[in-house]
Amino acid sequence: MGNRVLICDDETPVRELFSDLLKKQLCDVATCMSGEEALDIVTKETFDVVLLDIKLGGMSGLETLKKIKDTKPETIVIMITGFGYDEQLISKCKEYGCSGYIGKNMPISQIISNFKLFVKSAKEKTA
Amino acid sequence: MTLTDGSSEKLLLKLIDNADVLLLYVTPQGEVSLANKKLCDVVGLPLQQILGNHWSKILYHDASGNIQMQMFKAMVDDVITYRRSNNFEGVVVDKSQVQKLLSWGIIPIYSETQDMEGILLVGHDVTEIRQRDDALKKIDETLKNIFISIKEYALYVTNLDGNITYYAMGSATLLGWEKSEIIFKHVSLLHTPEDAKSDLSYMLEQVRLTGQFETEIMLVRKNSEQVPVILTINRFLDSQGELSGYVFMAKDITERKKLEYQIFQSEKLAAIGQLAAGMAHEINNPLFVISGRLEMVLEEEALNDRVKQDIGIVINQAERIRKLVDRLLKFARKSPPKLEALDISEAIEGVLPLLTYHRLPAAHVEIEKDLVRGLPVIKGDLNQIQEVFLNLLINAHQAMPEGGTLKIISRDLGNRFVEVRISDTGCGISEQNIRNIFMPFFTTKKDGTGLGLSIVFNIVKNHGGTIDIESQIGKGTTFVVKLPYA
Repeated sequence: MGNRVLICDDETPVRELFSDLLKKQLCDVATCMSGEEALDIVTKETFDVVLLDIKLGGMSGLETLKKIKDTKPETIVIMITGFGYDEQLISKCKEYGCSGYIGKNMPISQIISNFKLFVKSAKEKTA
Repeated sequence: MTLTDGSSEKLLLKLIDNADVLLLYVTPQGEVSLANKKLCDVVGLPLQQILGNHWSKILYHDASGNIQMQMFKAMVDDVITYRRSNNFEGVVVDKSQVQKLLSWGIIPIYSETQDMEGILLVGHDVTEIRQRDDALKKIDETLKNIFISIKEYALYVTNLDGNITYYAMGSATLLGWEKSEIIFKHVSLLHTPEDAKSDLSYMLEQVRLTGQFETEIMLVRKNSEQVPVILTINRFLDSQGELSGYVFMAKDITERKKLEYQIFQSEKLAAIGQLAAGMAHEINNPLFVISGRLEMVLEEEALNDRVKQDIGIVINQAERIRKLVDRLLKFARKSPPKLEALDISEAIEGVLPLLTYHRLPAAHVEIEKDLVRGLPVIKGDLNQIQEVFLNLLINAHQAMPEGGTLKIISRDLGNRFVEVRISDTGCGISEQNIRNIFMPFFTTKKDGTGLGLSIVFNIVKNHGGTIDIESQIGKGTTFVVKLPYA
């Protein structure tokens, strides 16, 4: 796939798992632990995709999403959520410009396929 | 009384004149030979015009009194013919044109040789008494109507022994017993055997001591059904102010109980929902890492089959947990339903084919549908509403492992609600289980998660509806879902 992906999740095992999974998909992966950090990195460097936990200490996932989209609108942001399908939350994220969400309650295979799908359709939209 | 001289006779006449009754003594032919002052006053004629006349000319002599006179005459004739006393009640118009209701005793008087010498007519003015009676009757009628009108109340009175001495008419609506069936029976008839044994005497004791007792209790209807009531018992005092019994007033609180049950369930579920959501979140993260890592390990080619198999088992078990957490989140879901106008009958029809995808008992279940078309639409989330009925239909099926009949009925209640009843002819649900049935994780099924009905309850509640259960052990269960019009 070869995308540059920034993974932002405050839980180390989760962050590392995503990192390993995406590396297997041949992504170029960077990680961080907070929204503030993510925003800082995205401002300085260019990423194709940010995988962003919705529940973050400090700046919330939703706020981080908004700011990333303000700063680098072309960045594809995919939210990570532990709450399963929460309509209100998802519609808020969509409003702020996220391209999809991945639930930690999904089987791994589905997570990967969803990730690919969201990236592909987001790219098609901007193309 | 024997009259020995003239003065006694005078005294007797004085007594007769002053007696507060109308007195008339007539010959067997009907001629008046004696009349007292009171009679003269009432008919408005002087004594001279009365004596020697036929009594019927004096009493009931106006046009409107004609029929009454005939009857009175018949009574008097009857006295003459059969030589026995008789009674008659009739209206007389007095000299000032006021109607007087007179009650007459007609008494034959015999000589020593048993010949009839004459007839004594004794008249009481009962106008006022009857008026009072009528007033009382009216009050009683009003009371009766009041109690017939207030359907959820029963009122009855017992004596000190607890035997029912008064039973207000309207009480039959609540208790099922007609007055004639229950009057003089013991009040314990209306209580459960347990209550009748101990609680009843305690309640009456409290009434004696404190004057009143109020409690929430189940009363037993004629058909053995129990009905929840607020029972208020007061002392029943006689006109001397002595305790002579007890006044029972029972108010039907079935509807309130249902509402309380719904509220109780809602609050309980809301609390559990919050807990579940928090827990699910905490479980999801480590679980996600466990499953993810294992799946990655499984892709290692160097693993031997034995290890692969074991890891497969662990992944499957983790998947089980994940599904459970998923259900929990669904139960705790707070997002409001996506509302659209729905035809409830159509929504249910749409669910029926899905039944075949679920593992259901193999025994034959007859499905009887009475889904009324064109019911007023409800406002609902189709997916959620269908989930409700799919759940209820699967449950009904599973309640009949030996087969049976599953009935689905939809109808318009007319009070801005539509109702769906799903009945099975299965084993029924015990009172205790009904109390817990909407609790998450409460299940009587071997492989159930106990979340289905708690989700159903939440969905129905979020739609502004209610869900009730009617069940009889060994006969079956009916789930009653009521949903408001759009």
